[in-house]
Amino acid sequence: MRQDKVFIIFSWVTALFLLGLMTFVFGYTVYHGTQSMGYALFFDDVSFWPAVTGAGRVWEGIWPAICGTLSLVFTAMVIAFPLGLATGIYLALFAKRAYRRVALSLIDLLAGVPSVIVGLFGFALLLFLRESFFPQASTSLGLAAGCLAILVLPYLIKLTCSAIDGVPTSLKVCGEALGMTPWQQVWHLLVPAAKEGILEGVILSFGRCAEDTAVILFTGVVANAGLPYGFLGKFEALPFYIFYHTTESQGSSDIALAFGAALVLIMITFVAAIAARRLTVRRHHAR
Amino acid sequence: MQDKESYAAIVKDLSLFFKEHCIYEGINLQIPKRGLTVVVGPSGSGKTCLLRALNRLNECYSDCTVSGEVKLFLESRWYDIYNEKVCLPHLRRQVQMVFQSPNVLPTTIEKNITLPLKMAGGVLKDSVEEALSAVGLFDEVKDRLKKPAHTLSGGQQGRLCLARALALKPQILLVDEPTANLDPEKTEEIEQLLMRLKKKMTVVAVTHDRSQADRMADKMFKM
Repeated sequence: MRQDKVFIIFSWVTALFLLGLMTFVFGYTVYHGTQSMGYALFFDDVSFWPAVTGAGRVWEGIWPAICGTLSLVFTAMVIAFPLGLATGIYLALFAKRAYRRVALSLIDLLAGVPSVIVGLFGFALLLFLRESFFPQASTSLGLAAGCLAILVLPYLIKLTCSAIDGVPTSLKVCGEALGMTPWQQVWHLLVPAAKEGILEGVILSFGRCAEDTAVILFTGVVANAGLPYGFLGKFEALPFYIFYHTTESQGSSDIALAFGAALVLIMITFVAAIAARRLTVRRHHAR
Repeated sequence: MQDKESYAAIVKDLSLFFKEHCIYEGINLQIPKRGLTVVVGPSGSGKTCLLRALNRLNECYSDCTVSGEVKLFLESRWYDIYNEKVCLPHLRRQVQMVFQSPNVLPTTIEKNITLPLKMAGGVLKDSVEEALSAVGLFDEVKDRLKKPAHTLSGGQQGRLCLARALALKPQILLVDEPTANLDPEKTEEIEQLLMRLKKKMTVVAVTHDRSQADRMADKMFKM
C-alpha cells in the first residue's frame, strides 16, 4: 500500500514537472515572441501584396522564411511519406521475419544518426554529383528536402509498421475471408484502421522537418534568398532565421525577432497537427 | 457410395498442425451439394479449423501446416485447393465464411455490404436491401444505414456479417456457431434462413448444440 502511494505521488510529480517545463518554455517563447509580433516581423516595410507575391523583396521580415520552410517541409514529405508508408506496410505485412528484424534494426540505427551527419551526407553527395555527372549541381531546396526525407523516414516507417501491427488480427482475417486481394486489404481495411498511428508519424516528421537546422545548413539554406523559386534554388527557413538572428545578434531587437520567428514556427507545426487530425476525422466519417 | 457429382466438397486425409501442435489428423469427409452439413464436437476439437480448411483461411495464421486433400466443386469443375494453383481471393469469395465472433468492418452498416461486393466487382444495386432483408435485419437498420456498424448489438452484427457473406453470392457458405449470440426468437429465424439457403447453396455449419444439429443437419460430422 505504501509503495503504491509513493508510486502514485512520483507519477504525479513527474507529470506535473513535465507539464510545468513545457508551459515555461512555451510561455517564455510566447512572452518574448509577442513583443516583436506585428506586420514588420512578417513583411518588414514592404506592402502586403508585393511582399506576398514576391514583387517586392522582403529583406528583414520572416515571410520568405515561412514560405521556404513550408516548401521544404512539403517537398520532404512528398518524398518521405510514400516511401515510409510503403516500407512500413511491407515490413508489417509481407516481409519475412528475419528480414523484418534486420530491417527494423537498421531503421533504428538510421533514426539515431545525428542530423548534422545527414547534412554532411547531403553535402558529400553534392560534391560527388559535381565531380561526376552533374557539374552544375548546387545546394538547393531539393537537396535539403531529400536529406530531410532521409532524416524522417525512420519515424514514418516505424510508426506505420507498428500501427499496422496493432490492427486486430480478426480484421486482417476478415479481409482475407471476404476475398479481398492483398492490395484491397491494405488500402481499404488496414491503412484506414491504422490511420491514427500513421498520422502520428506524419505529424512527428512534419515537426522534425520544420525545426531541423543542421541538415539545411549544409544543403541549401541562406540568409537572404527571398521567396523560394524552385526545386534547384536556394531558400530561407524559419529555424535558420532563428539561428542566424540569435548567433549574429546585434542587440535585443534581434533576439526579439528570433523569438517572434520561433513563435510562428511553433504555431505552424501546431496548426498543421490540428489540420491533419481534423482531416483524418472528416475522412473517417466520410468513409 | 454416392456419385462424386453430388458432392460440393471432398476432404481426404486432411491434417492440420500449428507448429508441432496437431489440431486434427486424417479427416475424411464428403459434403453434399445444396445441403446443410453440420460439424459437431466438443470445444477445442478443431471444428472451426476444419471450416477454415475449406477456403484455406488457416494459412492466415502463422506456423500453420496443412496436408491432405480438399477438393471443391466450383464453377462446374473440381479444384484441389491445396495441391493446385488457385486464386485465393476468388476461392474465398466462392467459399464464404461467417465467424462466430462478429467481425464487422470499421465502417458504416451499408458499406459493410457494399465494400466487399465492390471489391469483388459485384452488382451494388439493391444489394444492401436484399442482403439485409435475407437475414431479417433490414427493417431494424434501414434508418441508420450510414451509421457505424459497431453501433449495432452483438446479435445484429452477427446477422450483418451473414448478410455481407450472402451479398457475395457464394457457392459454399461456412458458418461458425451461427446462433451463438442470438436470443431464441432470432435463433429460430437464422435456423430457418439456413434451411432456406441450403436449397440454393451448400452450407457447412459448426455448432456445439447437439439438438440444433439434429434439427438442421442433412448430414452430421462428429469430430
